[in-house]
Amino acid sequence: MHNANPDGDEAIRQTNSDAAVARLSAAQKGYISDPFVRFLLPRGAHLQPPRPPLINVGTYVRSEGIDQLVNQWLELCERDGKQCQIVSLGAGSDTRFWRIAAGARANVLAKYVEVDFAENTTKKAMAIRKSKELGVLLGNQDDVSLSNGGTTLHSPVYHLLPADLRRNPSESLAPLLASSSSDGSPMLSNALPTLLLFECVLAYMHPEDSDALIAWFVEYFSTEQSGVLGGLVYEMFGLQDAFGKVMHTNLKARNVSLPGVEPYASVASLPTRFTRHGFTTSHAITLRDIRRSCVNQSELERISHLELLDEVEELDLVLEHYAVTWGVKVNCVDAQALWREWGFKPSRN
Amino acid sequence: MPSDLDRQIEQLMRCEPISEEEVKRLCIKAREILVEEANVQAVDSPVTICGDIHGQFWDMMELFKVGGACPDTNYLFMGDFVDRGFYSVETFLLLLALKVRYPERMTLIRGNHESRQITQVYGFYDECQRKYGSSNVWRWCCEVFDYLALGAVVDGRVFCVHGGLSPNLQGIDQIRAIDRKQEVPHDGPMCDLLWSDPDEITGWGLSPRGAGFLFGADIAKAFAHHNAIDLVARAHQLAMEGFKLMFDQTIVTVWSAPNYCYRCGNVAAVLELDEHLMQEYKVFQHAPADVRSIPAKRPPADYFL
Repeated sequence: MHNANPDGDEAIRQTNSDAAVARLSAAQKGYISDPFVRFLLPRGAHLQPPRPPLINVGTYVRSEGIDQLVNQWLELCERDGKQCQIVSLGAGSDTRFWRIAAGARANVLAKYVEVDFAENTTKKAMAIRKSKELGVLLGNQDDVSLSNGGTTLHSPVYHLLPADLRRNPSESLAPLLASSSSDGSPMLSNALPTLLLFECVLAYMHPEDSDALIAWFVEYFSTEQSGVLGGLVYEMFGLQDAFGKVMHTNLKARNVSLPGVEPYASVASLPTRFTRHGFTTSHAITLRDIRRSCVNQSELERISHLELLDEVEELDLVLEHYAVTWGVKVNCVDAQALWREWGFKPSRN
Repeated sequence: MPSDLDRQIEQLMRCEPISEEEVKRLCIKAREILVEEANVQAVDSPVTICGDIHGQFWDMMELFKVGGACPDTNYLFMGDFVDRGFYSVETFLLLLALKVRYPERMTLIRGNHESRQITQVYGFYDECQRKYGSSNVWRWCCEVFDYLALGAVVDGRVFCVHGGLSPNLQGIDQIRAIDRKQEVPHDGPMCDLLWSDPDEITGWGLSPRGAGFLFGADIAKAFAHHNAIDLVARAHQLAMEGFKLMFDQTIVTVWSAPNYCYRCGNVAAVLELDEHLMQEYKVFQHAPADVRSIPAKRPPADYFL
């Protein structure tokens, strides 16, 4: 475990603001639709100018790629006649829970748990309490409660928990997930298919800390025969080249370092972050390839008309340094065929 | 008054903007010179051909170190002087001042960023507002953009253009018929010259940029043959190694903005053509950070975090 550096921690928390501003900008320019992003903006974020076209396009591809995989996960659960659980680690200002809760597969969701630094969860809990639009999707207001000095929020499906993910999970996560309801049952059932989301979070952690985190979840879900554990990571990789060196330098100027990226020099190396924990399958694809082969032609055409993108080479250069990695661990051999279907479907219509 | 102009060049060489009144006079003078130039300017070798600069002033100073000072070296810049970088104002005004001072030793052709519409999205408009407190300088510069040549031919054998070819233009002579003194149109031959890209396809293709076309080796070779030229030199596309030859050396991309956008990590290059049109590519790196290549209070480079 690595000790936190207070300035570095604040710099990492600031990256959440970058992501939220990028998402707001992409929504305002019409790239993505997200009716909830404006309720969860960090302070001052709405005053930021819109992001450049390249960042808007990249935000679209990132969002579209992760949405496709999460939606397919929900679809597979539905087909399997099961509810599922999603745990979003380092969730920041993410709006995914509300987008699912307002969508057609809301009833597939048994639990949606978000974990982040207490500084972030406090602000998010407050924003949720303030907004009618967010609150109404949590269910009956009497079932929504704040605790632990406002750092924690519980509702029937959605839970917001404060933790430093770099700490030993049996000390930091385990107590938070142990007790949620009056009947004493744990927050997460190890019998339900459970998807772990890591959007730009493992990059900021040391590899041994993120390994410990994944290993803890693997252990948690290993005891139940019907257990299915999925993982989805979105972040930068392959920073050994000239572009990557400049990224390291530019981020260092903001006090942000990326120790978690070091082991992953190529896209082929990315699935090992799951396969080394005994996952049944794992794959990775760059944002560049998602844009090229997994986004509808009609969508590509629609977004190409939103703004004039002057540089395609620069876009490709940036996008080929980010990837989505996904994997699934299926305890029961009979269920493996279904879950092997989870992945991107090339789209050319 | 050359002495006045020399002082302005000295000032701009230090990356210090000249006064609004001086910009106004410089732009009027530049237009008087540019209006006399052809759509496709004839240039004599030896000449050093440069690609996109994009307001990276201190990196352009590295270019002059590698390529030699103007007027000792004869220069041809293939557009995209402005936008993206932090010093579009100083970069363009210095090139323009050198053009006015040494019109025969400095050729400037138009890039797709030398446009009212694009500069309002990619930074030059905002930079003018910030540095002069009004949009006057931007307006005068845009009026100069409308007069820039669309291409150049070195010794009748090397065709230089910012972007590429157009399905509406088979011969260089047809370019001469364009009325260029206007904002860059959204389509048509003038737009294509500034926006198109070579690509590993056959024939013509749709451009992912939303303007211009993609063209394959067959198109480039037919154009070279038809116009009796050896080489098409163009800019417009980031080349990580500074230049990129394609289609059996029929076309070359020259890229002169090192570490483009202070993010890409690429090197840059210029193409020196000697009096026999022999090609030499001179590669250079971005300016060291200690020469104020990036302002202290800069906006941070954007990433997905």
